[in-house]
Amino acid sequence: MNKRIVINPLTRISGFLEIDVRIENKRVVDAKTKGNLFRGFEQMLVGRSPFDAVYFTQRICGICSAAHSMASSLALEDALKIEPLEQGRYLRDIIHSCEFLQNHIRHFYQYTVPDFVKMDQNTLLQTDHTDFRLPKAINDRIAQHYFDSLAISRSAHQMLAVLGGKAPHNHGVFIGGITTKATAEKVVHIDSLLQKIALFIDEKMIPDVYDIAKYYPEYFQLGGGYGNLLSYGSFHNYKELGTLYTNPLVLTKKGIEVFDEKNIEEKIDYSYYQAPANKDQQNKAVPEPDMDKEKAYSWVKAPRYNGLPFEVGPLARLILSGTYPNRISAMDRTIARALEAKKIAEIMKILLKQIIPGVELQQKYELPSSAFGRGLVDTTRGALGHWLEIKDKKISFYQIITPSTWDFSTRDENGYRGVAEEALIGTPIVNPEQPVEIGRILRSFDPCMSCATHVYSPGKQVKTIQVF
Amino acid sequence: MTMPILPPEDLSNKAISARITTNAIKSIKNGLIKKKNLVYLELNGCSGNIISLLNGQNPDFEYTFKSMVDIQYSNSLMVAEGEKAIEKLMKALEGEYILAVEGAVALKNNGLYNIIGSWKGKPLTGLEAVKMLGEKASHILAVGACATHGGVSAAKPNPSESVGLNKVLPHKKIIMLPGCPVHPDWFLGTLAHLLLYGEPETDSLNRPLMFYSTLIHDRCPRRPFFDRGIFAEKLSDKTCLFKLGCRGPVTRTDCPTRQWNGHVNWPIGDDTPCIGCAQFGFPDAMAPFISFDTTRVVKNE
Repeated sequence: MNKRIVINPLTRISGFLEIDVRIENKRVVDAKTKGNLFRGFEQMLVGRSPFDAVYFTQRICGICSAAHSMASSLALEDALKIEPLEQGRYLRDIIHSCEFLQNHIRHFYQYTVPDFVKMDQNTLLQTDHTDFRLPKAINDRIAQHYFDSLAISRSAHQMLAVLGGKAPHNHGVFIGGITTKATAEKVVHIDSLLQKIALFIDEKMIPDVYDIAKYYPEYFQLGGGYGNLLSYGSFHNYKELGTLYTNPLVLTKKGIEVFDEKNIEEKIDYSYYQAPANKDQQNKAVPEPDMDKEKAYSWVKAPRYNGLPFEVGPLARLILSGTYPNRISAMDRTIARALEAKKIAEIMKILLKQIIPGVELQQKYELPSSAFGRGLVDTTRGALGHWLEIKDKKISFYQIITPSTWDFSTRDENGYRGVAEEALIGTPIVNPEQPVEIGRILRSFDPCMSCATHVYSPGKQVKTIQVF
Repeated sequence: MTMPILPPEDLSNKAISARITTNAIKSIKNGLIKKKNLVYLELNGCSGNIISLLNGQNPDFEYTFKSMVDIQYSNSLMVAEGEKAIEKLMKALEGEYILAVEGAVALKNNGLYNIIGSWKGKPLTGLEAVKMLGEKASHILAVGACATHGGVSAAKPNPSESVGLNKVLPHKKIIMLPGCPVHPDWFLGTLAHLLLYGEPETDSLNRPLMFYSTLIHDRCPRRPFFDRGIFAEKLSDKTCLFKLGCRGPVTRTDCPTRQWNGHVNWPIGDDTPCIGCAQFGFPDAMAPFISFDTTRVVKNE
């Protein structure tokens, strides 16, 4: 039996995602993930003050805005040749950690849990499938944690605001680290909230994810994909602390190698953009949008590393850092997110201990008349890169490759599907009228389509630049 | 026996809105308010307003959705997916509902730059959905800068041709809740007022006065520095941020007294200028956000 299944919208994600799969004999044989939202941030940034990029790019995404403030601050520091003090790095990374915690807790409880746990049957939480297997006591406990978690993820954003002014869309992360000086009161305010969050992760979140895993064991075999993993590095290379989490690494069938950004390129064969070479490399002119392009089906482009699609995110980081077995599946991804929340809380504790109150991190910055900068950092969903060029003290070029662009890319001319598309191939669909498997696998990647689909910049306004 | 003398009632905006919210909660508990249906539509934007709403403390999200409104639709939170989700949106049209919209309306390619789902096999654009739902809604709330006037989604050169809600629903009264994102209290307080007393009092631009009446500058704790001409030269300075580009003098919100994320901090408290995220015209009219040299001659901006 052949059947086409379209799920649009795939709810409980950030942004708009459509999934279009073909099944034969109750197995997925083809899949297309489609980003259904387009704003054009890279073009909007041209002509703006470079300093504004930090606050402006945060508006790409409401659930991971601090990530963009990190990458744009790093890119500006590179362009302005400013090396932040270690105290600045610690404080900025503490803000970033708060976002990891907020995001992972919300993604697990508000977005993932309702796939496996039967919730209250009011309109918002009404389910459209029947595959619920948890014993009532466990089901009810996790359903209660859906609500208990709200205070916890909220307090993660509160910690962020203590140093960052507000969240979402913080003001604190900036060139030099953060905009304000640490005080004992701020450190203890954060530490006090962090203790409660860490307790919740240990006592509720991690047991909950393992309970779900126990009753849905086939998801350890589903949602695998290529097995290529990539990280730009996360909480790494501190002068005194060394690496607290992951170094910049890639893993392929050939083994682990050191990441080298020269090997990245972005393809647009199946995306709604036109360019002469049909690919968007950092040192080439950037393509124009075109929704009528033949074969094209998404606003998301296709970044490749050495020509291959790579998975990014918590599971990639845990495996690359040697703290999780090299096992890739939908359930491993979900478990990794909970384990990473614990890891991040531990890193935050280490960083908080290093803070010296009252250190001045800011100065009056001068803009160069022309410069180039790049900021690469692993964020909640994986590898995020910002590349910018300054001319006449204004932004003349801006390019962003987000984690969800890696995971939710379109296919390319070499026949490689995007990572999430590939993860669906071969999945048995038990009941094609209730294809619950598809959403469970896709949500394990924590898609952020607000991030993945912001891109483009018309070629005519961009001068050819040399990125690497 | 004489009556005890009570302290005067606090008349700050924050206190007034807190009383309204508390009263609304009490009335709902006592059965005075009927829960209403709420359709929460996310359009062309970052979905940051719904995240901000999850940061609501009193009332929090659990209270809001259990005791104040029955949420019929929310892309970020609803459990149903695909056409079964859109089916709930269509069903909501049959009854009475409050419509809250975050994100701008993308007009380009007849709305195809923002597809929110598919219905009967065809793409449903944000443009179609908001027109359809806006016509029948009992009240409409534009939540956040993109919904009130296009916001960042409409920043120049506005590649998706995004506009605010009022451009596609010109004849409807729309309560404007600007902010990037909206403060959870601004949204939930307005919702409480709608449930308890009907539409709140608004200014000529349809912003509820209880939140948006006063300039940040007029209540800024750093105002004494402004008055004495003591200005910050860099971020992290504790004096007036006016010369770094602070938009407090043109932005009407209660941030100085309400503050953010459980009232712990706000942008000026973080030693950075207000960037006017809750003022119409944000972001283009508020750019540059940070300038280290405001004494320059401005050309072609």
